[in-house]
Parts: sequence; structure tokens; C-alpha cells
Amino acid sequence: MLNLILNFVSACRTSDLRVSTAEVIDSVRQMELVNVLDEDQFRSTLRANFAKSRREQRDFDRLYNLFFHDMRPDTELDPENTGKDEMRKALEQMRQEAGDDEISQAIFDFLGGDPIPYLKEIQRLETQAEEASKALKSNLSQLSSRLEVMLRINQARNRLLQFQGHNDAKGEPGKNQGMASHMIERLEVANRMLTQETRPHNDGLKQVNRYDKQYSGLGERPFSNLTEIEIEQMRSIIDQLVRKMKDIMSRRYASRNKGKLDVKKTLRNAQRYLGVPIEISYRQRPLRKSKIVTLCDVSGSVWSAARFMLNMIYSMQDCFSDVKSFAFVAGPTNITDIFEKHEVNKAIEKVITDTDINFDAHTDYGEMLTQFHRDYLNLLSKKTTLIIVGDARTNYHNPCELLLDEMRSKCRRVIWLNPEPEQFWGTGDSEMNTYKAYCHEVRPCRNLNQLIYFIEDLVF
Amino acid sequence: MTGFENVEDVQQKLESVDYIPSREIATVVYLAAATQKPILVEGPAGAGKTELARAIARCLNLRKIRLQCYEGLDEAKALYEWEYAKQLLYTQMIKEKINDLISASSSISEAVEKIAEQENAFFSERFLLARPLLQAITSDDQVVLLIDEIDKSDPEFEAFLLELLGDFQVSIPELGIWKAKQIPIVILTSNNYRDMSDALKRRCIHLYIDYPEKELEKRIVRLKIPGIEERLADQLVETINNIRNLDLKKRPCISETIDWAKALMVLQVNDLSPEVLSDTINVICKYQVDTKMVRDSMDKVLTPC
Repeated sequence: MLNLILNFVSACRTSDLRVSTAEVIDSVRQMELVNVLDEDQFRSTLRANFAKSRREQRDFDRLYNLFFHDMRPDTELDPENTGKDEMRKALEQMRQEAGDDEISQAIFDFLGGDPIPYLKEIQRLETQAEEASKALKSNLSQLSSRLEVMLRINQARNRLLQFQGHNDAKGEPGKNQGMASHMIERLEVANRMLTQETRPHNDGLKQVNRYDKQYSGLGERPFSNLTEIEIEQMRSIIDQLVRKMKDIMSRRYASRNKGKLDVKKTLRNAQRYLGVPIEISYRQRPLRKSKIVTLCDVSGSVWSAARFMLNMIYSMQDCFSDVKSFAFVAGPTNITDIFEKHEVNKAIEKVITDTDINFDAHTDYGEMLTQFHRDYLNLLSKKTTLIIVGDARTNYHNPCELLLDEMRSKCRRVIWLNPEPEQFWGTGDSEMNTYKAYCHEVRPCRNLNQLIYFIEDLVF
Repeated sequence: MTGFENVEDVQQKLESVDYIPSREIATVVYLAAATQKPILVEGPAGAGKTELARAIARCLNLRKIRLQCYEGLDEAKALYEWEYAKQLLYTQMIKEKINDLISASSSISEAVEKIAEQENAFFSERFLLARPLLQAITSDDQVVLLIDEIDKSDPEFEAFLLELLGDFQVSIPELGIWKAKQIPIVILTSNNYRDMSDALKRRCIHLYIDYPEKELEKRIVRLKIPGIEERLADQLVETINNIRNLDLKKRPCISETIDWAKALMVLQVNDLSPEVLSDTINVICKYQVDTKMVRDSMDKVLTPC
């Protein structure tokens, strides 16, 4: 029993499900309390201890099914135990024939009932970083390694079939039939695992489509279709709006002193006046100030939406304790300085002229995430809201979504603003649906009204 | 003394107080009670997370203490606070006694020394205003402690909770460490607004309450509204499930199903028709867009029984 659970634990760990020793001890202890022969109870116990958030549950269920259903221990399968040894011998022989190749070894281990090397292989595939071949960047290498594993699976299948045929030829048809076909079934499972998508549940995702139609006309025009004059008009509207919001904020600052009487502080002040409470202090309501990190796609049409957002965020800077911003096409460039030193509109121009952003490059979200993850991960803390503005069009490069997952675990919220209308998400090279699984909130943001609604949500 | 004997016992006891748990819920509740670990409950709003805590308290006949989390919640509101006003009042009242005490002393330092000896009188339990967490720890009887919407609290508060959840003790600087007299049954609920820290998750048993399966939901409706006709209940649950399959902003939960059933009982409806659904839809959908979507796909939602 203990061994079974420990094996399962190491399978979980290979698939990147974090299970701590304390949790293993807990679950083993709890096994004594429940009826382990009742599968519901057994599974619930493991699940309650190993998968501690909704997002991990799907991974857990997948592994659980693999481990306890698809890979049932051999003994159950072959009650008379005939041919089992022979099969094992055959597997051993095939393994030797296959040579030193790691993938084949993993597949035969899998057939022999030990899924861990194979899981490792799949995990490696999924997290595989792009090889340095910058000239031909794509997610091809991931696909091709997948293909390689598939080829190996086919080879193994052929070997099995040969083995079966061999038996038939020896005039013993039907012998080991069950075992061999079971092995083929297992190969099918291995194949399925390879092609399956492993995206986490994201029930907590907040998808906002609604917004108040504050400004008709200009407020509804998509950012990308604005003319020069309209952009000027837009700016004055934004100025007005920012002033209005700042008013509201300052009222909040003013009212923060009108809280409950702070007895502790009042008494302390009273000490100075022989215990007569002359100075009365109130309990201050702490103001929530969050840090903000923005990542803006500055390529093509997205920039038109991103700059308005930056414009507003920087105008409202007092409301946040720290704002950091990055622009990217292929790799992130820190543009915080530009915005701190220059007035907003000038800064926006400067981003285009003065930085070394390569505007001719293809947008590559995976590359951007990789670099951000490598260089700036320390900017994210539990007080940070990460805002990404972009259309998630990756030009078919590797999206590297697992990095976003890691970033999510570092910060308070991840919000993705997409300047494309929702019906285009996930079409063509848009990886929006992939990234969506790792965000706390996604919203389309293509006109002023939507932007205003978002900023109000963010500030208040 | 855990209160539950085995998983089946949990199921029976919870059902006796009108809460029908799935097998998984029962298992987790039993394990948590038996191993004295907190349960972290996640799930969509209205799936019965808070109700579970209430039901456990009811069926074991325990007092329920609830702490609602929100941004800015701090120790003073969650754990304890000194009652300064009361301390001040007492000082005023016993002023003369203090004078008696120090009148004999010859120097100031001696007087201070004498008063210091009496310090305990002022920083004692008498002047301690117990907030929910301290109440749960100091209670003579076992209680059910419900920490609601933990995801709304700040990370600082979450870190502060770790001591309580791990060792069932709290430290009060003036008084030392207080251990729980009776280990409470702790239930934390989360709506997944933000992810909880690993440290917190590690100390808890995790439970996800999803929308109930059809059969279970039917049983729940019949239990909560005894007067409902079987056919109507079936129809109701079927419709709600169809609505859930639509792409809504906020999917109706079990609490909405029950509210709707109640509304239908009040209106004395015996059969669901598009008109009835259209009239009562505000009970099920809380957003204008959702209402519109259900109205538009009426034929898909209402299946003839």
C-alpha cells in the first residue's frame, strides 16, 4: 500500500504536481481511517491532500486515471499468470534491440508498468525551451520531438505485433494473446497522453465583456481606426476623465481620517497633557495601493490601445505605489524611465523613437515571457497586478505558457487586455485561449469605453 | 472525540440536518475531523460552501463562529484587542486604592516597583476583547470556526493565520502563547479571487465543491422544499442544468435552484412554461446579458418532460 502511494507520488512529482512530504505522511495516515476498498473514499483522500487547488485537480485526475486504471498492476490482469514471465522476457529483449535510445527505454518501461520515465519525457517536451536557433524560431522543435516519440511508439507497436505473429507461427495461436493486446492498449494510452492537451482548469477566470457606454461616438470607435484629430479629441477626454478620477481619489484620502476613534493613540497623545484628551485621533483606514507591472505589445495595431492604457495608468500614478512598464515586440524593454522623466504624450513618442525595440521583428510572446521571466521576475510580488496588453498572436512561435503560470503564482493578479474582439480570440495564430487558462482576468479592450471601465475597476 | 465515526456516519449526520453531501465531501469532512486539520473549500459562489460549515455545526450540535474576511482585516479585528476604555475606567475607579498602595513607599522608584507588581491586573483576560479567532481557541466546548472568503484577505493576514491553523495556538505578547482548549473544526472558504499561498494550502485538506449532479440536486430540492411535486422538481433541475450549459457570466448554483423552486411554490406553478421561466428568470440570472441569453435560447433550455 505504502509503496503504491509512494510510486504514485513520484509519478505526480514528475508531472510537476507539487506534493510535499508532509502531505504524503498525512495521506498515508488518513488511509488508515477510510475504507480504501471504496474507490470514492480512496480517491478523495489522495485528491484532498495532493491537489490543493482547482487548477491542479485536472492534472491529478489525469494521473490518477493513468496510474490506477490504465496501468493496473499486472497481477490483476492475468489471473493464471501464464505468459507473464515470457512477456517480460520478450519486453526485455525488445528493449535491448531498441538500443540505448532514451525515449524507447521510457516507452518500454511504460509497457512494463513503470510510467515515471515516460512522464518525465512528456514533461520535458512540454517545458522544452526553444533551442538557440534564432534564425528559425518556431515551436517546430517541440512538435518534432513529439513526432519522434510517436515514431518510437509505432516501432514498439510493430515489435509487439511481430512478437504476437511469432507465437502464431510457432503454432501456438492465442498464447499470450491477452498479454500482448494489453500491451498494445498501453501503447495507445501512451499515445493519448502525448497528444492530449494539459491545460489547467481555470474556473476562477473573470471574463469581463460588459462596460458602461459613457461616451457614444468616440467612445465606441476602435482605437485602431482613429484619425489624427480623433486622437487629439481622445486625449482631452482622457485628461478630463483622469482629473475626475483623481478628484474621487483625493476625496478618499480626505475621508480616511474620519474613521473610528483610535483609543490607543488618543490616550498616548493625552499623556502629554496630563491625561486630558485634547488631541483626538481616529483610526485611519489604510488605503489600498497596489503595484502595477504592465507588459505592452507595441507591434502594429495593438500599440494604439496600449498607449492609451499607459497614458491613463501614468496619469493616475498617485493611486498606485509603483508602476513599472515594459514594451515588447520580441523581447521586453523597460520603458519605466521614459515615462517617469517625460510627460505622458512625449513619453509615448519617445518609446517609438528612442528605444532599441526592433519594430521589424515578429511578435513573439514566448520569447518575451522567457526574457521577462529571466530578467525581471523579482519585480513581481504578492502586491503586484500584472497587466498584459496584446493580441496574443504569436506568429506560430512557442507560446511558453508555463512561464506565465509561474508568473501568476508570484503576483496578485494577472489581467490580460486584448484589443481584438472576442470572436477572433483563438483563431489563426492567436494563442489567447492558451494564455487565458493562466490569467485571473481577461477582457477585450478596443475602445475608450472599455478602457475606462477597466481603469475604474482597477483604481476603485 | 471527533464526533464522526466513519464516512457513512458523516453522510447520515449531515443528511439529518438537511445537507446532502457527495461522497467526496463526506470523506473529506470525516478526514478533517479525524485528523484535526482545517478544510479549504473552493467552488463557485452559491455551491454550498458556507452551508457546509453551518451543517457540520448543526449536526454535531456545536457553536459556529464565523469570521468574514475582507481587505484590510487585521489581527485587532480577527484575534483580540485590549479594551482601553475599560482599563481607563477601572484605573479611575481604583485610584484611591493605588494611592494607598504607594503612600507607604519612600521613593518614586519604589512606587513604580509597587505598581509594576500589579501590572497583571491590567493586562489580564478581563480587559481582553476576544474576536472570533480567540473565541474559537478559548472556548470550553469544541466549536466550528468558519473563516469565510479567505481569498479576500491580505497576504499578511493569511501568513498570520498559519500559526493558528498549524498548531492551533496564538501568541499574545502580554500574555504568552495560548493553546486551544478544544481543537476547533476549521473551515476556510475561497472563491478563487487569488491563489492561496503554498504554506496555507499545505496545512489544509482541500475540497472542491462543484455543481451537484442531477440526481443529487433533485434530492436536495426535494429535501429543502418538501411540498414540491416530483415532476416539477425533475423539470426544474433539468432546466437549471441546461441553463448551466449556456455560456453565462454567472452560472446558477444550487442556491439559485432552491430560490427558484421556492419562487415557483409561492406562485403556485405546477408546470414550467416559457412564460413562467421568463417571469421568474431574475431569480436565476443576476446579469442582464445572462437573462437575455436564456430568453433567446428558451427552446434549448426548456425540454419537454
